[in-house]
Amino acid sequence: MRLRNRFATVFTAVAAVLLSGCTAPNPLIATHLNETAAFGGGVKLNPLQGKVITSWVDRRTAAMSTLTGNETAVRYARAGGGPAYPAGSTLSLATWGQVEDGRWFGARIPGAPRSVEIVTVSQDANGQRLYSYQKYEGAPLKRVVSREAGPADERLQFLISQRASVLP
Amino acid sequence: MANSSSAYRRILLRIGIAGVVVFAGLQFVRPELKNPEVTNELQAPPEVKDILRSACYDCHSNETKLAWFDQVVPAYWLVVRDVKTARQHLNFSELGAQPAAKQRAMLYEAINQVQLGAMPLAAYRRMHPEAHVSESELAVLRHYLETSTPQPEVSAAEVSAAEKQFSDWVAAGPASAKPPAAPNGIEFPADYRNWTPISSTDRFDNQSLRVILGNDTALKAIAENHINPWPDGSILAKVAWTQQKDGQGMVRTGAFQHVEFMIRDSRKYASTKGWGWARWRGTGLKPYGDRPSFSDECVGCHEPVQGNDYVYTAPIRGQR
Repeated sequence: MRLRNRFATVFTAVAAVLLSGCTAPNPLIATHLNETAAFGGGVKLNPLQGKVITSWVDRRTAAMSTLTGNETAVRYARAGGGPAYPAGSTLSLATWGQVEDGRWFGARIPGAPRSVEIVTVSQDANGQRLYSYQKYEGAPLKRVVSREAGPADERLQFLISQRASVLP
Repeated sequence: MANSSSAYRRILLRIGIAGVVVFAGLQFVRPELKNPEVTNELQAPPEVKDILRSACYDCHSNETKLAWFDQVVPAYWLVVRDVKTARQHLNFSELGAQPAAKQRAMLYEAINQVQLGAMPLAAYRRMHPEAHVSESELAVLRHYLETSTPQPEVSAAEVSAAEKQFSDWVAAGPASAKPPAAPNGIEFPADYRNWTPISSTDRFDNQSLRVILGNDTALKAIAENHINPWPDGSILAKVAWTQQKDGQGMVRTGAFQHVEFMIRDSRKYASTKGWGWARWRGTGLKPYGDRPSFSDECVGCHEPVQGNDYVYTAPIRGQR
C-alpha cells in the first residue's frame, strides 16, 4: 500500500514537471481566414474570381495590388499583347493596405481593402474600342467613380499597360 | 503472512538492484557527441549573438554544452540525436561559410520558428528555461534582420533578363512542353495558371513577390471556412517572382523564380502530413530536389504551423 502511494506521488510529481512547461497554442497559428482583406459592400464583380494577370506593390502608399481578368483579358495579356485589350475583356484591380504577415516575419500580406477598380472593354458599331472605368473605395466599399474612359485617361492607360506576370 | 510479505520485499529488492545495475550499465552505452572546431561562425552584433547563444547554440552549433541531466542515459541518447539533427539543418558555427543570402534566409527561418513557438523545442525549454526567448529578445532579433537586410535596386541586366524571359514565355505559348515529375512522383499541375488568387505576399526577406492560388476544391473549402483540415483534393500553388523596382516606389513582378504546390490527399500523402509537396524552378520548370525524401525539407519548414494543417497562408475570405 505504501509502495503504491509512493508510486502515485512520484508519478504525480513527474507529470507536474512535464505539464508545467506546456504552453497554450500560439495564437499566430490559430486557423483563420484573412477577414481584414475581404471585400464587402457594393462591389458587384468580385476581383478575386478572375485569373491573375499580375500583381505589384506601391511602397509610397504601402499598398499591394493584384490585377485579374476574365478569360478574354487573360488570354490576351499572356500572349504579350500590350494595352489593346479586345472587346469583351474585363480587368479588375484589387488594392489593399499592407500588413505584416503574423505567420512569417519577413513578409507583408493584404490588410484592409483600399479600392477595387474595374475596366471593361467593348466596341461600337464601327469597331472602335470603348472603355468603362469604375472605382470602389471605403469600408464598406462604395462606387466612387463610374465613367466612360478614352485612350487619354491616365489611370485607364496605367491599368491596361501592365505586363502579365510570367506563369510557365 | 509475515513470510509472504518478506518474500515480496525480497523480490522487489532484487528487481530494484537489477534495475540499478541495468541503469548503471546503460550509462556506458554512449554515442559520441563531439564539439568540432568552430570554423565559420555567424557574424552578428553581440546582443544578437548572446540571444542565439543562450537559446540555440546548445543544439545548433559546435559549442554544445550539456547539463548534467542531459548526460544521463536515456536522456543523453535523445539529446545526441537532437543535436546531430539540429546541426545538420542549421549550425551557427559554420553558417558564416554560406553566401550572405543563404545566411539571411536561415536566420529568418530561425527567428520565425522562435516567433511561432516551435523553437527552442518545447521539451528543451522545459528542462532549460533559460533558453526561452522573451518578447524583448525577439524584438532585438527582428530589429537586427529588418535593419540589415539589403533592399537593392534592380540592375539593368536583371531587367533585361526578365524582359527576355517574358518574350520567350510568350513565344513558347501556353502549350509548352510538360516538365518532368517531382522526385516524389508528383506531376506538374499545368492548369494552375487558371486557378484563383487567394492571397499575395511581399517578401522583404528575400526580395520576391508571390501570389497564392487555389483550385476549385480549395476555393470551396475557403468559402465554407473548412480549412483545418483542408479537404482532400485541395491544391494550393504559390508562385514567386523577383521584385522589379522602378526607382519610384513601384515594385512589379520580375523574373519567374518558381511555383510550388501543396496537394491535399490525407491517405496518399499520409507520410508527409497529408500533403504532397512539389516545386518547379525557372521557366524550364526544373523539379526541385534530387530524391523523394526532399519533401522532408518542406515539412520541416511548415512544422511550426502544424496546428493550421501545415499551411502558412491565411486565405482572403470571399472568393465566391
